[in-house]
Amino acid sequence: MPATAAKISRKGFWKTLGIFFALIGPGIITSNVDNDAGGITTYSLAGSEFGLTLLWTLIPITVALIVIQEMCARMGVVSGKGLSDLIRERFGAKATFYLMIALFFTNLGNTVSEFAGVAASLEIFGVSKYISVPVSAFFVWWLVVKGNYKSVEKVFLVACFFYLSYIISGFMAKPDWAEIGDQLFTPTIRLEPEFLTMAVGLVGTTIAPWMQFYLQSSVVDKGLKTEDYQYARMDVIFGSVIVNIVAFFIILLCAVTIFQAGIKIETAQDAALALAPLAGKYCTWLFAFGLLNASLFAASILPLSTAYTICEAFGWESSLNRKFAEAPQFYGLYSLMIFLGAGVILFPDFPLISIMFYSQVINGMLLPFILIFMLILVNDRKIMGNYANGWILNLISYLTIITLIFLSGAMIFTSLR
Amino acid sequence: MRMVMNSTPQVFLFLSQLLGKKIVDPAGRPWGKVCDLVVTLAEPYPSVTAVFFTPVGEKTFFRFSWTRILELGQDLRVEPLNGEERAGATVNEGELLLKDSLLDKQIVDTHGAKVWRVNDLHLLKVNHNLRLVHVDVGLRGLMRRVGWEKAMDKFFQWFFDYHLTDSFIPWRFVQPLSSPDLLRLKIAQYRLAQLHPADLADIIEELDIHKRTEVFQSLDIETAAEALEETDPKIQVRLIETLNPAHASDIIEEMSPSEAADLLGDLPKDKAEGILKEMEKEMAEDVKKLLVHPEEKAGGLMTSSFPALPPSSTVQEALEWLRQEAENLDLIYYLYVSDVDGRLFGVVSLRDLLMANPQARLADLMDSRVVTVTIEEEKEEIAQLFAKYGFKAIPVMDEDNRIKGVIDFKGLLEVVAPQLGK
Repeated sequence: MPATAAKISRKGFWKTLGIFFALIGPGIITSNVDNDAGGITTYSLAGSEFGLTLLWTLIPITVALIVIQEMCARMGVVSGKGLSDLIRERFGAKATFYLMIALFFTNLGNTVSEFAGVAASLEIFGVSKYISVPVSAFFVWWLVVKGNYKSVEKVFLVACFFYLSYIISGFMAKPDWAEIGDQLFTPTIRLEPEFLTMAVGLVGTTIAPWMQFYLQSSVVDKGLKTEDYQYARMDVIFGSVIVNIVAFFIILLCAVTIFQAGIKIETAQDAALALAPLAGKYCTWLFAFGLLNASLFAASILPLSTAYTICEAFGWESSLNRKFAEAPQFYGLYSLMIFLGAGVILFPDFPLISIMFYSQVINGMLLPFILIFMLILVNDRKIMGNYANGWILNLISYLTIITLIFLSGAMIFTSLR
Repeated sequence: MRMVMNSTPQVFLFLSQLLGKKIVDPAGRPWGKVCDLVVTLAEPYPSVTAVFFTPVGEKTFFRFSWTRILELGQDLRVEPLNGEERAGATVNEGELLLKDSLLDKQIVDTHGAKVWRVNDLHLLKVNHNLRLVHVDVGLRGLMRRVGWEKAMDKFFQWFFDYHLTDSFIPWRFVQPLSSPDLLRLKIAQYRLAQLHPADLADIIEELDIHKRTEVFQSLDIETAAEALEETDPKIQVRLIETLNPAHASDIIEEMSPSEAADLLGDLPKDKAEGILKEMEKEMAEDVKKLLVHPEEKAGGLMTSSFPALPPSSTVQEALEWLRQEAENLDLIYYLYVSDVDGRLFGVVSLRDLLMANPQARLADLMDSRVVTVTIEEEKEEIAQLFAKYGFKAIPVMDEDNRIKGVIDFKGLLEVVAPQLGK
């Protein structure tokens, strides 16, 4: 059609760029947001406090992540609905209500963690958190509510190439690869509260509950037909693997540089030392940049995703195309999360590193419950038709749930003793 | 909704209060639990005709007819059924399951033109009959399901001296969405068709992919065309792609040519050609002519269905002609006085026609100072002309100064709306 030809030539460059970004699927985007302030902190602490002993957990975590995200992507493509939508229709108002409350507070914890990341990263440059946090909170809020969020998302994504610096740094540090390989395949479990907490935190930061809702909504937005499902699956697997490769290198580096040196991470500057092999004395700047990007990116997405999830569950108007008065619950929830998330950080002497870590532990504790809901949904033939779970996926999911509940229980039990 | 019938006692109930109720025998011994209620569709309010239940200690569903009920109070007092009387839990033609089809599912409010999620159902009990009157979509309904209704009331009363009212939608405005079968239910009139096309388009855009297609395919051709015209272009494409070329062409034929051209231009080439082949020849020709023009310029905004008559016609002939053709025209306010080749002599407004002597000729009546644009005219220029002259439509001329189409007010909106932040 002549009209179409005219359209293509006019759009030219931007269209090619657009196709490129269109290929970056929900799986890849989700995994990049996954490496947020909480993620970087948790992986850094895992390496700096336990050396290489927790490295092996990345393998089962990767498997679990792939399985869980694949289920969400599958549910999204086959049903065409978001996860909270499915939960509401299948489990009713009461269960959904309590789940949403739990999710809200867990995600609030994560939001606090993102702003903690902003504060911590800019403190490296000497900017006080009383300036950095309100400014960034306002920036994020304005960006989503007033601005063109989609194009900024692309800028954030490109800046995620920062994680390459961990990988390059990892090779430059010339660690003992034999020992690393050894530790990677040798499971060690210590029934001590710190160890167990860290294990729960590692799971919680890699397989965050909010990610499952976000991934499924993104897949739904993409509008894939059921027959094209394998593209969603490849995208999810690819994204999950990337997350864990980055996690691997962060733990590795912190083990080799910080743990060896016997330093304890108290501030972001300490964590930045992991990048010393690559950047030398500029490691703090590099780290600050990466942490800031990760925190702002997640701070833009997480509260928004939470607001969508909750409004979707209760049938409240939830669209950025509507004015505030037309979608009060949506804008209200979103603004409240930003306000509280940023506000909490402004308390004097607020322990930034701790909050970034413990918010991920809470993720890990909520996860098994979300998984139980998900498992029931993904096995329901009325929803999934022929795409319901096979027994292998069910087995892996049950194992994950049981392990997590056991870990959380052991963690609480040993801490109370 | 309060049916005043003598002074018979009436009670309003909620479905959430009925689900899970114990079913007891006349002596008070429980023998089952209520799982769902079956209504038979009737206007304006369907009545409950059967109960789905599970016997004590069992998991299978069965049903019994509502007429067996002796008393509806704290518990449901019913004579126990023996083996043969237990009917399998099936739903028949013309019946609807309240919990399965409505509770926690999405519905369309065809009065307010919005999609809601059902929190609860409002039933009216008159004598022994239970009728579905409202769908509860409000916060109070949600709190009732969660069990926090009283706590919420105390909270609002204490802090804000505020009493939260119910948010009900009368059943006659409710269109259930939870399955394709429900969309084909013979509810007196097809409710979605009563919505204004722009509202219907909004609702279609808001639904998820599967529901969108189901709703769209349940519409009749005319309603589908009207709604499609108002829908976001990307979604238009997706919806048309789900139809076979014959069905798609039927719908596109009902659209205005310029809208049809826009839509076909967005489709993949082979799909568009397949549809054009199925379309009525004349319409297909019109659309093909419009397709040649880039969407962003005058050529892409104009419509070819405009009134045109020779200068020698009389006012009476013109009005007769308009009456005949009105259904197929995209605008009727201006009549363009032209010859067979498209040379434009002048324009006559409908107002002028109505005020004039029936025997007067168009040539005497027309205004020969016609403001026109060329096919290549840019959007901004067009908008400025509309603003300056206050016309309702502007004709579009080709290089030979023949009239090819007219940009009407709707076309203008397409130009201006993005600037207003549509």
